[in-house]
Amino acid sequence: VAKTSLTSPPWPEVKLPDPVEEAKYHAEVVQKVNKMIATGQYGRLFAVVHFASKQWKITGEDLIMMENVLEAECGDRIRMEKVVLLVGADDFTLIGRPLLGKDLVRVEATVIEKTESWPKINMRFWKRHNYQRKKIIVNPQTVLRINTIEIFPCLS
Amino acid sequence: RYVRQLQRLQLLFSPTAGDARGARQFVEEAALDFARQHPDVVLYISPRFGAAPLLLAEYLNGTVREELIANKTSEEIVQLATKLAGQSGLDIIRIRKPFHTDNPSVQGQWHPLTNKPSALTVRGPRLQAQ
Repeated sequence: VAKTSLTSPPWPEVKLPDPVEEAKYHAEVVQKVNKMIATGQYGRLFAVVHFASKQWKITGEDLIMMENVLEAECGDRIRMEKVVLLVGADDFTLIGRPLLGKDLVRVEATVIEKTESWPKINMRFWKRHNYQRKKIIVNPQTVLRINTIEIFPCLS
Repeated sequence: RYVRQLQRLQLLFSPTAGDARGARQFVEEAALDFARQHPDVVLYISPRFGAAPLLLAEYLNGTVREELIANKTSEEIVQLATKLAGQSGLDIIRIRKPFHTDNPSVQGQWHPLTNKPSALTVRGPRLQAQ
């Protein structure tokens, strides 16, 4: 059959490697990463955490503010759940689908402050109808400080 | 490693005014409990004649916040006091970002030249001719 412009797709054809070889390569990489974690050759860790219906990118000592009230008192230590997707360091990243295991990563935070937001004005006004309503909304907020992010070498 | 940002709480009220009734009840009943629950906050109570009852809160920044407690029940004053104890001395204005990091990039900040092949390996017509 003659070759026309539509016989082969326009994107370059990619040959996948052998599944056996790929499994070996994967196992090697996993062992290397485990060794690196066990010896402690990573510097700064960052993580992506799902918290208060939002996803945050977190490093060591940084501040995060929520527009809600947590049940913990000021100065309580909190351990995070739902460590989503990436935990990364300088050389490697661990990607979860969609969550990583609890025995892999540990994110700790403390509640620093429980304040209220600045007074927001909610006003409704219709012209020529003598209708105006004014309401001042103050939301409670909590401020967390991320203390540490730790990983343990339990990959597989 | 947590330091409470509230330094002092000064309760100023007059023992004969009508609007300081809640403050007097708070002092009689709930002040001891509050002081025991927050051991790192100093509570000063001083009587003052002829002015409205005030609750002064001083923070470690040096900011002083005054709250009126006239015509409030003692429970409301307790809630106010706990709220002030949880705050820090920063101004309550609009905050632009709900997060703050000192080290925003760990693996190096992205610029348009990351993950692109370098210019040395790119074939060009001039290099082949020479």
